Parts: sequence; C-alpha cells; structure tokens
Amino acid sequence: MLIKHFTKPIIKSFWGNERFFIPLSCNFCTVNGGLRDLLVSVAQKGASAGAGFCEARLFEEKTKYISIENGVAKSMSSGILHGVGVRVIIKGKWGFASTNVTTKPSVERALKDAVGGAKSIAAQKGEEAKIVDQKAVVDTVVHKPKINPDDVDEEEKMKRMLEIEKVARAYSERVKDTFVSYREVLTKVVIANSFGTVVEETTPRTVVYCSVISKEGTNMQTGFKAAGNVAGYELVEGIQPKEFSVKAAETAVKLLDASPPPRGTYTVVVDPDVGGLFVHEAFGHNSEGDLVFGGQSIISGKMGQKVASDLVSVWDDPTVQKNGHFVYDHEGTKAEPHRIVDKGTLVGYLHSLESAAKLGGKPQGSARAQNQHFQPIIRMSNTFFAAGDMSLEEVLEDVKVGVFLSGSQYGYVETQKGQFTCKAEQGWLIENGELTEHLRDVAINGLTLDALRNVTAVGKELRIEMPGMCGKGGQGMYVDAGSPHMRFEGVVVGGRR
Amino acid sequence: MEKVDIVTPVEKAVKLLSKLGLDFFDVYAAYSRGLNIEILGKGIKESMSRTDLGLGVRAYKNKGLGVAFSQSLKAEDIETTVNRAATFASVAQPDPYFKGMPGPSKTAKVKGLCDPEVAALTLEEVGGCAKSMIKAVETVRRGAMYQGGLGAGHSMGFLITSMGVSVEAEKTSVSASVGPTYRRGDDVGSSYEYDYGITLKEIDFEKIGRQAAEKAIEQFGSKQVESGTLPIILTPDSSSSFIFALLGAISGEAVAKGRTFASGCLGKQVAPSVLSVVDDGTIPGAIASGAFDGEGVPRRRVEVIGKGTVKTFLHNYYSAGILGAETTGHAVRGGYGGYVGAGPTNVQVKQGDSTLDEMVAETKLGILATNMGFTPNDVSGELSTTIDEGFLIQNGEKKHPVKNLMVGGHMLELFRDIELVSKEGRTVGKGFFFPNVKLKQIKLAGK
Repeated sequence: MLIKHFTKPIIKSFWGNERFFIPLSCNFCTVNGGLRDLLVSVAQKGASAGAGFCEARLFEEKTKYISIENGVAKSMSSGILHGVGVRVIIKGKWGFASTNVTTKPSVERALKDAVGGAKSIAAQKGEEAKIVDQKAVVDTVVHKPKINPDDVDEEEKMKRMLEIEKVARAYSERVKDTFVSYREVLTKVVIANSFGTVVEETTPRTVVYCSVISKEGTNMQTGFKAAGNVAGYELVEGIQPKEFSVKAAETAVKLLDASPPPRGTYTVVVDPDVGGLFVHEAFGHNSEGDLVFGGQSIISGKMGQKVASDLVSVWDDPTVQKNGHFVYDHEGTKAEPHRIVDKGTLVGYLHSLESAAKLGGKPQGSARAQNQHFQPIIRMSNTFFAAGDMSLEEVLEDVKVGVFLSGSQYGYVETQKGQFTCKAEQGWLIENGELTEHLRDVAINGLTLDALRNVTAVGKELRIEMPGMCGKGGQGMYVDAGSPHMRFEGVVVGGRR
Repeated sequence: MEKVDIVTPVEKAVKLLSKLGLDFFDVYAAYSRGLNIEILGKGIKESMSRTDLGLGVRAYKNKGLGVAFSQSLKAEDIETTVNRAATFASVAQPDPYFKGMPGPSKTAKVKGLCDPEVAALTLEEVGGCAKSMIKAVETVRRGAMYQGGLGAGHSMGFLITSMGVSVEAEKTSVSASVGPTYRRGDDVGSSYEYDYGITLKEIDFEKIGRQAAEKAIEQFGSKQVESGTLPIILTPDSSSSFIFALLGAISGEAVAKGRTFASGCLGKQVAPSVLSVVDDGTIPGAIASGAFDGEGVPRRRVEVIGKGTVKTFLHNYYSAGILGAETTGHAVRGGYGGYVGAGPTNVQVKQGDSTLDEMVAETKLGILATNMGFTPNDVSGELSTTIDEGFLIQNGEKKHPVKNLMVGGHMLELFRDIELVSKEGRTVGKGFFFPNVKLKQIKLAGK
C-alpha cells in the first residue's frame, strides 16, 4: 500500500491530467436473464431477512484504451470490470458488501455480509439510515451510439489518433512533447431493489485527450484539450484537429511567453470552463444532500434564503447530453433537471433516497457509484450557471484592473468551511476593460458564499464542455460543467508577483 | 478472512502466453478484502465489506505493449485476457525507450507486513474502533458533525514474468480518520486527524479523536491576513506534501523523459545542506514496505536527497532504461490493471537541529501552515495553492487561524528557501517521518 499524501480528505476534481490516469481496461458479458433474476431474488431475500430496504446492483464495464506519445502508438489496453454490490438497511444502519464473482453463492454471500455488517453496527450511536419510499420502476435503457466503436477496427482508431497527435507536434519547434489518448467505455448497470424496481441502463462513452508540453530553455509549459461525451466513435469523427490538438499546442507554446500573475484581491472574470469549475467545486458540492445532512455544507439550513447575487442561477441537469448524462441513477431513480439556485435564492439540494428522506426533498436522480465496490453516493452530473444577458465586452467593460481566467486545470473545496481553490490553465490581466498581459499558473481562492454574493455580471453564452472525472469519497465519476462568462468582485488571486 | 488461490490462474496465463511468440510478458493477480466503517453526520453511518480479485497481463512484441485485465479468473476469461494482450502487442508500434523487463534477483524477506489479527477482524470490531475514536472527540467537546472512516484490509499479490521473476506478497493495513466540524453561528471550527498502520496495535484511536477535536476547536475565529512575502513554517502534515511534490517530480517515466520541473536536477543542489531525504522500502512493519517492487525487483534503502543534492531519481526498469541507469526498485503496480509506474515508498526526512517552538519564537511575522497540499504544475514547477489550515505568527507567538490565504512560488525556489528543519516530527505507519520545515519566505495572497 502506498500512501502518497497525508493531506486532508478533500473533494477534488481533475479536468486534465489524463496522462497520469491508470488506464482502465476490459471483454464484456451480456446480462443474461439468470443474472437479472439473481439480483431480483437477492433484493427480495434481503427484505425477507429483515432488511427495511435491500438493493442488488450489477456493474459491468469494458474499456479500450490507446495511447500515442510523440508519434508512436506505444500501447493498447483492454479489460473488464464486473461484479455485484448489495446494500441493506437493518435496524437503522446501512450495510454494504460487494463481490467480483457473479455466481449465486457469491452474491448471496455478499447479501449475508451486508446484513451482518449492518447488524454489527446497529447498536452504535450515529447517523440513522432511512430512505423515502419509491414506486417500483421496471425499465431498460440503451444509449445507442451513432457509430459503434466495435465496428471500427483498432488500427483505424490508432491511425486517427496519430493524425490528431501529428498536427500538435508540427505546430511549433517549441513543442517538446505530445500525448494523445483514446478511451472507449461501455458501462452496464442493473439495479434491483426491494421496492420492486428493476432498471437496466447501458451507456457508451468516448473520451479523447491531448496534452502538449512546450519548452524554451528551462521554461516548460503545458496545454491540453479533452473531448468526452455519452457517445460512440462519432465523437472522434467530429474532432477537428485544428480546433483540438492544435489549440492545446498553441496554448502550451504561447504560455512560454506569459508572466506569473500578480497576487492579491482583484475583480475576476472567468470563461465558461473556469466558471464551470467554480460552479462544480465551490458551490455544487455544497448542494449535495449527503454533505448537507452530514453537517458538512455551508448551505445546510439555508433553503429559501439568498445565497448569491440576483444574477446567479445554478442547475445540475443529467438529462442534457453531455459527459454527466444518464437516464436512471444507481438507485433506480429517473433523472430530472435539478434547479439549485434561482436568481440568488437556494431552492434545491441534490438528493439520494436517503437525503430526500432526511431533508424533506424529492429524489431526482443524483446517486451514482463508481463500480460494484462502492455504494451510490450523491454526485453532480452536468452542472452549470444559467446564462445572463451580457456580451463578453459588457462583462469586461467596467473592469479597471482585474484578472481574466481561462481553461480549467483542477479545483477542490472544503465544503464544511466553504473554502474553494480553482486552478486555471491561463489568464490575462484586464486593464480598462481590455485583455492585456498573458498570465500563467493562475489560481483563485475564496469563500463560496462571499464570491457568489459578489457576482456582478453574467454573460449570455452558456457553454458546457468540460468532460471530467470528479472524486468524492474515494469514487471517481463522469461529470461535466459549464457557465457563461461571469464577473466576480474581490477574489483572491494567487501568484508569484 | 478467507484465502483464495491466485497462483493457479497466473500459472495458467503464463503457460498460454509462452506459446504466443511474445518477446516479454508478465502476469499479476491480486486478491483483497476490505472492511470499512463510514462516519458521516452524527457518527457511524455504514458498514462495508469488499472482495476484489483480478488478473492483468502485459505483453510486448517488437517493443509494442498490449495490456489486458479481467476481474474473472475463470479459465475461459483468462484465455481471452491473454489473447487480447497479445493481439494488442502485435498492433501497437515499437516504443523506442523500451529495453525489456528485469530478471530475477535474490530478495530478502521484510518482516511484519501481515498481521493475522487484522486479517481476522470482523466489522463489529472495526465498528468498535470507530466508536472509540468518536467517543474521544466527544470527551473534548460534544456537538460535532463528522466525516471520516475506518478501514482494515488484507491483500495478496502474485507476479510471474517471462524473465523468470516469480514473487508473491501478503499484506494487511489499517487506516483511521475523523474530521469533526463544530459551528458557532457562522463561525466554523473544523479539522481532522488520521493514522495508518499494518497492525491494529499501532493505532491509537482515542488519540486520533482527541487531537481531531482539539485541532477543530483551534480553527474558530479564522481571519484574513494581508498579502505579503513572509516566512512560513510547515508542520509535518504540510511538509509531507512539500517533500512528496519534489519526489513525484523525480520519479519514473516523466522525469526520465524530461517532462517535470525537476528533470535537470540529478546531481544538483536543490536545497540547503540541512535537507536530506531517504526512501526505504525495507523497514520491517512499515506501511510502504515490501520485499520487492511492482516488477519483482528487491526494494532497498536509497538516499534520494543528500545534504540538499538530488542523489538519484526513483526508477522502475523502463524509466531507468531511458537514462541508461539501473532500476532503483521503485516500480509501483496499480493493482492488476497492468499499469506500472514509479514512486516513493517509506520517505524519511533527516532530523535537523531546530525545534518547532524555536522556529515560531524566532519568527516576527509569518505563517504556521498546519495543513496544506503542495500541488504544483508538475511540468513548470509553478505553485499557486491554498493554506487549508494555518495560523498567523506575530512576535514569536502563534495567533489566530487564517482563512482565504494562498501561496505562490516555484517549487525549486521554495526548496532553495528552506532555512530550518526540526528535530521532532511525525512518524506515520512506522515508515514515514516528516519534521517541521521553515522556509525563509513565501509569497502570500490575501487581503
């Protein structure tokens, strides 16, 4: 076991760094009727063994991954994840157990372990488990890609990635290093629970990532681009290298001549990517019902109150066809758009069956699990600030001295304090409404509610194009985020100057 | 906890691979069982038990790499996995940096890495440990809302390579953390405490709870401070991240291919002579120890930074090959997924002459950073991050906690600015040791 950082457990999302991800890999098994029946029988058995609620969830995922480095398709990988997670409520406590072996004895053993685990902590004081009752839903959803990746041979995929990589490498002599990866993922989740729900959803995802390192003397900089969605190979066919890998190369090369940012408190204007990072990190996590009932959110107890400027409305919408899209969450709840903030007023939290019971809301489909080894927890999907009515010029025009941030790298939040950090890919100084000096390694920090109250301008063009993975409770999950251009007054900008 | 046979499936895969005309291959299978208690809100929330099993194959043909894994160890699934890896290897293009795989070495045993008591724990017992941690928080102050958890794990791994390496390992682990949050109107007092170990005995659950509560209460009344350039003292929970940021930048493929800010640092003085860092994966009973690394190469004790100079990079066989160096036994295998990287094991910073009290007393105006993560841009080395928990130091005394305070700088400049290293520090899991570290100056962005 390697423990790399002894730092505080935080909620952190990566919107880049695909290069350092461990490639998942995978064959696929079709969920046969027998396996589906097994899940149903285990859910019923749990209920008859005294569980107030029992859920059996099958997870299968196959992935293919190709990586290109400096003109060489040096590796290809593939693999399968599959298994079952079983969850029960007994005597006011949750019990969860999982197995990779999807045979009847093994899944029944998981049920026994979940029941035994819940009973073993039933006498402990703590957080009582309860959920809202649900009507039984029986449905099967298959997201069909326009081009099935299985219909495209591996050499063709490799050739296409090599083309995408080549134009980035050719962009400038100052490009030192290029990397392109292709990942196709087919995920099947089947949920059966003691309400009688049996929901099956099959989702294809495709992600292409490009990162470029530029170099001049000892100065090295990076740029990246990612495209990802619930889609098949049509996503790859839609990529225009000039708007993709060339943009990553352009960013990396231009950053060689950029300056470190000034530090202090400034008016900050963010582009749709940094706005998306902010709405996800700084605010979105605070609206997750488990953190609200767990006393870990700064908007706990603020329902119906003003939490932001009148210009601010926030949505989380899994029904939008972006990277965080799904039809049913992993508790079998049908997904609906969630309005969280309406013109500055808090109007909703994101709910699981549990948080809806504890906070008095309606589940709208926000509970998802990374795989069979994790229980569903509340996750954002596609989170965004709603559009306003200003052009970018109007957002910028009143700013005498400020900082414009563009492109997201990573962010994290301590929800209990409401303190956030967002790291941008690049920035510009704003002087008298004009973008002037190019800046690199810009990050902002602040207290979420202070920042939201100080939003003074919102642009009219909403863009949601930040396919990424969000980490929470040790689980990674597909998400997307976006925003129009937004202006915040009095934000701390970190820098070396 | 039960034992499962992971040897037979690996041997079966090796037999199949041997017939496919590959240049190199390895097969790794792993089994793990973990018991966890989740703490959230009013206390203990959920019990979890996970059993994970899988087998991964890496195959090379003409220097092209094919990887496949499966979570099923059935004979037909092993055969499919083997065939996929071999097919991909034949499609992939030659990697000019690939120099092969390491051969077998004589490996000395490292004692104390598996505690039968942990392997035999029940969820009820793990829940009892969580309860004692929460009870200790409440002894200090009641009324907290919690997050945290307790985990006990037992894992086994078995590796065979085409170069004749055949090694197996068994390990246990215990982890515990609790983060209480107290509220007083809009004021928040929140912190956390943790520990890790191989055995149950080495974890003091009550101490974790007590310290978490005390640290949380100390965070009430945080205030913004002015922007400026001030000295900063990193306590062990911050200095660990500071050191890891550099060790990450001198590890594996990225540094060997010149992609990190520290790529040019081999043999160079990057810090004053007060800083020395050793990496030792052979310490008995330590959490990051093992007889061999992810490629079956023996672990060893390595002086990474000696009196401020980078003595070696941390290599696996691939990254060492790029630089014409020898592997240092730092291959890290991320489970059975097939990916092999490189990174540190047990990291020990050499004690200095100072003490935390002296560092604070000698600081007229500065910052005491008790919890911050150093997350630089690994390529450029630029840092712009937040002090998650810290205090203002005025006239040699720790004053109020700070909020909304960022630091900026270049990692190599910050290492050059190390001024003092303390005698005392924090040992984690019998293997890691981090002292308090004072930097002459850091750029702060605040009010």
